[in-house]
Parts: sequence; structure tokens; C-alpha cells
Amino acid sequence: MNKIIIITGSRKGLGYSLCNYFLEQGNIIYGCSRRTTNIQHENYSHFCLDVSDETAVIDMVRQIYKKHKRIDILINNAGAASMNHFLLTPYSTAQKLFNTNFMGTFLMCREVAKYMIRQKEGRIINYSTVAVPLNMQGELVYSSSKAAVEQLTKVLAAEIGESGVTINAVGPTPISTDLIKNVPENKIIELIQHQSIKRIGTFEDVLNVIKFFISPESDFITGQIIYLGGIN
Amino acid sequence: MTHKEIEVIVLTVLEDFCNSNKISAEINSHTPLIGGSRILDSMGLVNVIVDIETAFLDKDIEISLTSEAAMSVRISPFRTVGALCNYIAKQLGIEENE
Repeated sequence: MNKIIIITGSRKGLGYSLCNYFLEQGNIIYGCSRRTTNIQHENYSHFCLDVSDETAVIDMVRQIYKKHKRIDILINNAGAASMNHFLLTPYSTAQKLFNTNFMGTFLMCREVAKYMIRQKEGRIINYSTVAVPLNMQGELVYSSSKAAVEQLTKVLAAEIGESGVTINAVGPTPISTDLIKNVPENKIIELIQHQSIKRIGTFEDVLNVIKFFISPESDFITGQIIYLGGIN
Repeated sequence: MTHKEIEVIVLTVLEDFCNSNKISAEINSHTPLIGGSRILDSMGLVNVIVDIETAFLDKDIEISLTSEAAMSVRISPFRTVGALCNYIAKQLGIEENE
């Protein structure tokens, strides 16, 4: 493919797997996370940053643009989760989740979209969750931050629709990553029971939707949220 | 960088944008970019702002044209070409033109 791709939250989980997949396909990948990564590849560069740090995000995106004069794909994979009853949720937790999930996505989209609009093409992939349409108890802050990401995706799609840049979101079901490591097993089972297809999701399920969104034939697909597992 | 150089970059980007989008307008420091007499629609303004940011970046000069007051006719840094040049000059620590 030989595309310039930014993948946030690339140190572990889905982000790590996505980096390895797209590197194998011959792309140039720029990842970021708060800590260092063990990905070693000639086409991989890593930025240690917090996606809600405006200055750091601007600097990262500008460095990439200055080097390549283009950015083809942005995958806003970085995310934080917390499960708790609303009345027991600390304000600091709500701030942290909104900072990573919404502000991080907002900043990355804003900075990358500038160059994509200019080059008149580009693909942005955001992450939602099935917890949004399911209105799940205990997921108030997490799902609210992801609902904000969905709204960002839809409005941004409308604002830049004529520019050749598409922006869509994938809404995964639970997948065995660190993101859900603290969620009780019975809660995961309960969530899966809401799905039309009752199994835990996989990296390949998410990758499949991302590949659909970034394919050249998907240039008429924007502002869409695709949930996995038959949730709607 | 001088205020004059800023003005040259801004005017060049604007003229290029207007030419490629078949917009005929007189472009000088008084040309309005927002409001009733503006020469660009809102998406055109966004495109021009991005092009200006990128034009400076191509010269290794980093500016940020995000603004809380972007759409305010009274105080927007984008209300006229001159105001935009002053906004950039201020970011770069260069004396503004009156």
C-alpha cells in the first residue's frame, strides 16, 4: 500500500496489532502512546505523548507532514475505559476518559484533517463502542465519551464531506485487550448476550471494518458508525 | 520575517485559492474574510486558513490559526486580510500594522 498512516495508542492491544498488520503491508506507520513501544521496524516511528496534549499532538502531526508532505490514514485507536456506578465515579476519572477518548480524537482529527483537506483525500477512523447504543449501566462516563466521538465523527463528516476526506467510526464489542481487563467476566458475558452474534470480538473483526473504511472504493462512505456483533 | 513577508504569503495563498475556485474579488488588506461582504464561504475560509498555516510550515514557521473568536465579525482575527496578517504577526512576535 505504501501509505502514511498514524495509529494512536500503538503500544499494545488493537493499536499494536494494527501497526504490525499495516507494516507487513508495506506502509509507513507513525504510532504514539504515553510510553515507549517494542515495535522495531524500519518503517515505524514512535512518539511518546498523551493524545490530549495539544502541543505534543500538533508537533507530532507537523513533523510527519513536513517529512512526507501528506498523511493518508489516521486511526484514532487510543482509548481509556472505566467501569463504575455513576455515583461512585470520581470527577478525575471522568476527566481522564474524556481527555483520552474525546479530546485526543478531537485534536488528532483537527490537526490531520488540515493536511488531508489540502491533499483532497484521506481516511480517518475513530473508535466508538457497542456500550453507546446499549446504554449500559456502569459505562456512563466511558460510553458518554464515545458518544461524543460518534457525534464528532458525524459532524466532521458533514463539515469536510466535499473535501475528499472520509471519517467513520467502528464500534467494537468486547475484545480481549487491556481495555477490558478490569471488567468482571459476568459483565462481559451479559454484554455479549445483547449481540446478535454471541461471541467475543477479535482483532480481525475490527481490522475488517477498518479495511472497508480505508479502501479506495469507500470514498462515498462517511459519517458512519459500524457496530460489530449485530448491535444497533 | 517581516510584516510585509507575512502579507505576501497571505495574499499569495488567497489569490491562488480565488483563482483556482473562480472567485473574482479585489484582494487587499481591507478585503473581508467573514461577514456579509466576505469573499469566501465558510469552507473556503477554512481551506484558506489551512493553506496559510501550511504555507508558513513549508518555510519552517509554525503558526496556529485556531481562534475562539473565529466567526465574530467584531473581533475575529479573520475579519479582514489585514487583521489576519496582524494576528499572524502577533504570534510571531512581529509588530502589527495599524
